[in-house]
Amino acid sequence: MSAFSRNGGIYALALSLDEAHILINLVEQLLELLGEGDFNHHYDDSDPFAQLMSQLKAAPEEVTAPEDPVLLRLLPNAYADPEAAADFRRYTEPTLRGKKKRILAEVRSGLEVLVDEDHAGIIEDLNPENWLLAINDLRLALSVRLEITPESFDLFETLTEEDPQKSLYAVYFWLGWMQENLLTLLAGG
Amino acid sequence: MASDTLIESDLDISQLVDKPWTTIVWDDPVNLMSYVTFVFVKLFGFSQEKAHALMMQVHTEGRAAVSTGSREEMERDVQRLHERGLWATLQRDDKI
Repeated sequence: MSAFSRNGGIYALALSLDEAHILINLVEQLLELLGEGDFNHHYDDSDPFAQLMSQLKAAPEEVTAPEDPVLLRLLPNAYADPEAAADFRRYTEPTLRGKKKRILAEVRSGLEVLVDEDHAGIIEDLNPENWLLAINDLRLALSVRLEITPESFDLFETLTEEDPQKSLYAVYFWLGWMQENLLTLLAGG
Repeated sequence: MASDTLIESDLDISQLVDKPWTTIVWDDPVNLMSYVTFVFVKLFGFSQEKAHALMMQVHTEGRAAVSTGSREEMERDVQRLHERGLWATLQRDDKI
């Protein structure tokens, strides 16, 4: 079972190999959606889990389109007025997109060691705030595809194990649990 | 009063005074309450109590004003909130 830990100011994350695979799949797909494809891909399109996740991928020509609901949630409009929002986006979106990609790439590097060496393990000396942001962005992205509402946890509990949505919801709620775990450690002073 | 007459005559005061702008954070069903509070403390230096109260206002009323200032300052705040995944917009504060 995954868990963050803290020793003084040093943070670490223990993950099973399955958990590391799930996380790196999501991180890589979100990186691609944000327009960063220049890395070794770890997910296999034939893997059933990757197939479920593949709906996160946008066609290349849609990557910069603000109509993509996941991108619009991660890179939202700053103004209600469309013209002001477009102006603001033109000047600021590349920076925002770049920061999100840099943080996801950092998280990916930590996961890559476990996945490439094919074992469970501990990611040592990680940047807790960057991991917090990355996990939050993964939750936001999944929430758009799952159309999360305040009632979603009740819905999740009624889904049968055979329902293909079940594992997606499970990952979504697991990410929330990890985030709470990390926030508790960060609040510890 | 005399001053009222003067202001209302032919001057558009909004062109003379840089009216304050406000950063609004909107509710969403995804961001954890503890996370939103953490972000408010981190970005704005609020006390835990103030950050928690603002988070509750977002949660119960659907939105809360988290900062006011010049347009440039509010654009910076919105950008920093977007970096952290909060749904934020800025608007001219017409109440003042």
